[in-house]
Amino acid sequence: MKPRLVAFAIALAITSTFSTPSVFASQALKSTKSLTLTIFAASSLAQTFTTMGKLFETKHPGVTIRFSFLASSTLAAQLTAGAPADIFASASEADMTLAKTRIGTSYLFAANRIILATLKGNAFHINKIVDLNKAGVKWIQCAHAVPCGMAADSALASDGRVKSKPVSLEPKVANAVAKLIAGEVDAAFIYHTDYVAHARGFREIRFKNQEAATTRYLVGLVSDGKQSTLAQSFVETLYSAAGRKVLAEAGFIKVSKVLK
Amino acid sequence: MRGRKLDLVTIFMATLASLLLILPLLALFSKVPWGTLITRLGEPNSISAIRLSLWSSLLAALISVILGVPLAWVLARGNARVTNLLRPLVLAPMVLPPTVAGMALLALLGRKGLIGRYIYESTGWAMPFTTSAVVLTGVFVGMPFLALVAESTFRHLPRDQEDAAQLDRATPFVLFRKIAIPQARNGIATGAVLAWARALGEFGATMMFAGSLPGLTQTWPMQVYFAADQDMGTAYALSAGMALVAFLVVYGLRRQLRYAFSN
Repeated sequence: MKPRLVAFAIALAITSTFSTPSVFASQALKSTKSLTLTIFAASSLAQTFTTMGKLFETKHPGVTIRFSFLASSTLAAQLTAGAPADIFASASEADMTLAKTRIGTSYLFAANRIILATLKGNAFHINKIVDLNKAGVKWIQCAHAVPCGMAADSALASDGRVKSKPVSLEPKVANAVAKLIAGEVDAAFIYHTDYVAHARGFREIRFKNQEAATTRYLVGLVSDGKQSTLAQSFVETLYSAAGRKVLAEAGFIKVSKVLK
Repeated sequence: MRGRKLDLVTIFMATLASLLLILPLLALFSKVPWGTLITRLGEPNSISAIRLSLWSSLLAALISVILGVPLAWVLARGNARVTNLLRPLVLAPMVLPPTVAGMALLALLGRKGLIGRYIYESTGWAMPFTTSAVVLTGVFVGMPFLALVAESTFRHLPRDQEDAAQLDRATPFVLFRKIAIPQARNGIATGAVLAWARALGEFGATMMFAGSLPGLTQTWPMQVYFAADQDMGTAYALSAGMALVAFLVVYGLRRQLRYAFSN
């Protein structure tokens, strides 16, 4: 009895302790009869691209899209390490550049702004960016290397008045949004599009310097992607009237298609 | 001990199994930028993450011993009707996915948590995003290992000393402190090392419950995760450090491991 139990405990302790985080969790699944398009997209594109994906699947019967929504910097690292994908949509130009070994040309397709969001009826009455300095306020932003963190850093630097520190640097914007919804923090630097998606519960506070808070989204085809024709037509969807409408409704800022 | 004669198929499969387990770790070490290892591990964020992980996991292991040994004794000697119910409940965190463990801790101690709500309303303090959340997460995921191993050790202690002490009218507390614990010290130590290693490696639950801030809550494994986005060299250096700790743990427990598997 004892040996078996001990063996079980040791095995469990060791496996669960040293399993590395799923940085390189490969999304590779054997495609069946239908065609599968794999899209790596910034965390902030989750809702929009899911909607867009459904539109695309309806128009292209037999096509299944699978998404991986993570921080653009994480996705860029995965791509560099050889992760299988057909499209990369990044929330920053920097992360598109990071993935340059796998991406041919990339195009600008939207822009977004970092805003400060609070829950309606927050106990600290946060109405201005500078209210983050109030004693006891807990706020979060994304990690410095993640697009939402970079934009927050640049906007905060331009504002220059916030002296308090975040209580956590989140790995992607979705985590920051989730912690705000859960009420674990009083405020979070998230995207305007996140505010639009949760307008009922959130209050939005904008930066004066909108340009410093802006990040630009690029989309590129993975050069060794298996579904380049299909990928090309998904990218075109982003610029179609229907695609533009989905992006605009989500709160993304319209930009003209620019080759990067 | 001389080995037994083995058939080729078995040897072949065992070789494959060994390669599967050993090659990734060798590969990890092959990627470590040895030339810049010290500089990379010396970066402020790396140092603070390693330091935080080491002391918070040791503290978690210590708390696990202080609370977990009595728990193990109760499980070993208590009323079976109670312990049969209690055992699966207290061992459950061992098999919980880390993210679920994180959710559970938030549900209890978050600002809107079952207990956390009252603490927050009366004191304005909440556990998430504090170093104590890192330690508590370590206790939550680590203590079951200690309890499991210590209970098993208690159960298999020879009863003669306990019986003799009981004849001498030793109180239950003296029996536990002076007779059971000294005899079970090896098992307790093994359990403590497992609990410590488990707490040291925790990633998902900590990120969910404690957040991630350099110096305060950003642990060694989290630093690996973030470094992998920016600088693979640093990520490999930090990973190799953790792998080394893993190896040392298993090496330190090699007798227990052999005993466990050879029976």
